[in-house]
Amino acid sequence: MLVLILNGLVYGSLLYILSVGLVLIFGLRRVTNFAHGGLFMVGAYVGYAAASLGGFWVGLAVSIGVLAVFGVVIDRAIFRPLTDRDPVNTILVTFGLLLVLEDGVRTLFGKDFLVLKPPVELSGMVSILGSPFPSYRLFVIGVAVVVAAVLALWLMKSRVGLHVRAASVDPVTTGIQGIDTEILGMMVVAIGTGLAGLAGVVAAPLMALSPSMGGFVLIDCFIVVVTGGLTSFTGAFVAALVIGQIHNLGVAYFPAFASLVPLLVMVVVLVLRPHGLAKEAH
Amino acid sequence: MASSPSLASPESGGPSRLAGGIGGMLAVAAVLVVAGFSLPVVISSMLVLTLLTQATLQALLAISVGFLFRQNGLTSFGQAGWFGLAAYTVAVNGRFGWVAPETAVVAALVVPTVLAALLGTVIVRLPHLAFSMLTLAVAQAVHEVFLKWRTLANGDDGIEVRLPKRLFGLDIALFQQPQTMVVIVWIALVLVVVALLFFARSHTGLLTRAIRDNEERARYIGYETLLPRVVVYAVSALVAAIAGVLFSLYNGFVTPGLLHWSLSGEALIMAFIGGPRVIWGPVLGAGLFFLLKDFAGDHTEHWPAIIGGILMIVTILLPEGLAGLAQRVGRRLWSRRAA
Amino acid sequence: MSETILTAHNMTRRYGGFTAVNDVSIEVTRGEIRGLIGPNGAGKSTLMDLICGRGSGYSAGSVTLMGHRLDGLPARQRRRLGLGRSFQKTNIFPDLTVAEQIRLAARAMKTGDAEEIMSELNLADLAEARAGDISYGAQRRLDLALALIGRPPVVLLDEPAAGLSIGESLALSRLLEDLTRRWNVTVLIVEHDMEVIFSICDRITVLQAGRILADGDADAIRSNEEVVRAYLGSAVS
Repeated sequence: MLVLILNGLVYGSLLYILSVGLVLIFGLRRVTNFAHGGLFMVGAYVGYAAASLGGFWVGLAVSIGVLAVFGVVIDRAIFRPLTDRDPVNTILVTFGLLLVLEDGVRTLFGKDFLVLKPPVELSGMVSILGSPFPSYRLFVIGVAVVVAAVLALWLMKSRVGLHVRAASVDPVTTGIQGIDTEILGMMVVAIGTGLAGLAGVVAAPLMALSPSMGGFVLIDCFIVVVTGGLTSFTGAFVAALVIGQIHNLGVAYFPAFASLVPLLVMVVVLVLRPHGLAKEAH
Repeated sequence: MASSPSLASPESGGPSRLAGGIGGMLAVAAVLVVAGFSLPVVISSMLVLTLLTQATLQALLAISVGFLFRQNGLTSFGQAGWFGLAAYTVAVNGRFGWVAPETAVVAALVVPTVLAALLGTVIVRLPHLAFSMLTLAVAQAVHEVFLKWRTLANGDDGIEVRLPKRLFGLDIALFQQPQTMVVIVWIALVLVVVALLFFARSHTGLLTRAIRDNEERARYIGYETLLPRVVVYAVSALVAAIAGVLFSLYNGFVTPGLLHWSLSGEALIMAFIGGPRVIWGPVLGAGLFFLLKDFAGDHTEHWPAIIGGILMIVTILLPEGLAGLAQRVGRRLWSRRAA
Repeated sequence: MSETILTAHNMTRRYGGFTAVNDVSIEVTRGEIRGLIGPNGAGKSTLMDLICGRGSGYSAGSVTLMGHRLDGLPARQRRRLGLGRSFQKTNIFPDLTVAEQIRLAARAMKTGDAEEIMSELNLADLAEARAGDISYGAQRRLDLALALIGRPPVVLLDEPAAGLSIGESLALSRLLEDLTRRWNVTVLIVEHDMEVIFSICDRITVLQAGRILADGDADAIRSNEEVVRAYLGSAVS
């Protein structure tokens, strides 16, 4: 039981790292990044490639860096030019990008499953309240906690973070006040995509790498973001924990209909609060 | 002013232009129906007829996506859910024989429409992204059900669609051979497009476009705004269901893949490459999609990247889609003639 | 005829700790053009929102239109009972043509005077134009047309001249005055443009910090020291 709950936390942690990137990007750029699952997948593969040269930690660092740069490129080439257009345009373009990314990875790495092993330091087990638990999974939870803490601190305490929060609520007024929302946006998108890369590498030892690995995680991710309330960081945190837990419990107890459960949660939440768990509509 | 894959109706005009418009529309429709009958005569290749039949069915699904976007401004990622549900209704009934096949066909049209109406009352009010995600999740959930409920649907292996020798008085072979089915689905497509064109011109069509533009003001000028949007969503599900029924009759076999989001995604791509501003725009998109897929399939393995790239390019450079472009060019040619 | 056509009693709105409108009561006489002025943040638009049942936050008070209680009724019912509203931030249907949206509004009010209102508000030439493409001034007039179609007994106008040049504002105010008098439409108008207010309003209510500061005709308001101090200053002509 304890292990079950912990595994739920692990999945929730993964969902959180990925979802918070989406929230960042949506908040600042008002863009629904359908390619986010693809970026997650690319991050895993980039990490795999780099790790085969320099080990897991190198893979992690390289993946975050490469994905962040990629985020800058996407921001300038796609998000910015489409700012004034109907939001469906970014959905379509990022969806197209997703297809391109999947095909690209398939071409470079093939369709077969690849395995990225966790680093040696984290390959053992730890004992949690008497139950053995893989230390790598504990690491995953730790990463999510660190990300949440760093983000919270950054958004609450730093000047830039304040601007991000302001722009996330009202990009127009923040822009008028002379804060360069362009640079801010680019930075935030880079952080969002970098987080996708982080999530990809962190997730890789837990799931086999394949070009379609982004697919079902993405759906749960969107469920988290929508349930949490599109622009809410705390909402995403809470929703990720809940959805992650429920998903795992569902897999354990109702394997046939496990994927229906997060959906049900989302429907219930949205019926009661159309703007998600967040305190107010964006 | 944000420019969308533009949604303004090109059909506005005074009463006399309207009458001319309707008359012209019906005339074109009649011509197309007649042309449909000539297809198996003109085209001798069974392969081409088969592809054309499949493309027409996909075009119907694409239209259901495009229509929803045009009238409600909403993007559904789950139209395959209604498509597959309709197909499975016919197939499952064929397997268990609960009701007469004709009744099953009717049920296959009614059930998705009613379910969509019920679902619509909840989700149509939500912010656009939440709506889209919910349609995706619901369709995936239906997919899961048919995948995992083996006693009902036989899972991944699928079910054969058992049909009687005659259906609605027609020989079942008519539905199962490409040279005749192509005519049936073609006519179905024309009739659906005409029906939707009429809907778009109707009061509800105008009202839903107004609600799409500005839901608050629609209320402030005196309208209730939920029911019209639900009607549009239900109609879009009905169109997808029509395609699903025809598919099950034609293909003779259904699998859970019919409900998968990738099918919804393809329909979405077709709809937006063709351009949902025009009711028949998605048909163009479907046609191009099929041509490209066929061509690409012969020459390369990178079809997803190609279509993904085309989607990106068309969205960025040609937001009105191919149909919008065609209309613009057509109008310019016409005015040059008149000048 | 000096019967009261619209009353709003004890109108209050609070957002958390902030009270935007504080127990304001107002009675509008049939046929009058009533101005509602005050400094930024005085609560004018919020009061208007309260009368139409718009917006969030804690709300209290009752609204009566020609004897009908409007409390709790949704916007569309208030419209059909006779309360029209135009908006400060232009609130039209950008992808519909001018004619399409006016006809749509006309149909809701079961009236046929779409053509008439288009010509009254100088929109006839733009009938087939897409509303998102027409000039800002034309969009303001369209916003008004949507509020006035069907000749509702009472219409709430929220800064109809917002963003218009001095010439356009005056032209619009004359148009409004003429039209509403001819059609027997009672008007409650929020405006910052004092020229417009003083030229067309029969009576003016001044709000400040969510409360009524003063109430009277143009001369009374102009000479009211408190009002001048709090708001008008050099804006008085």
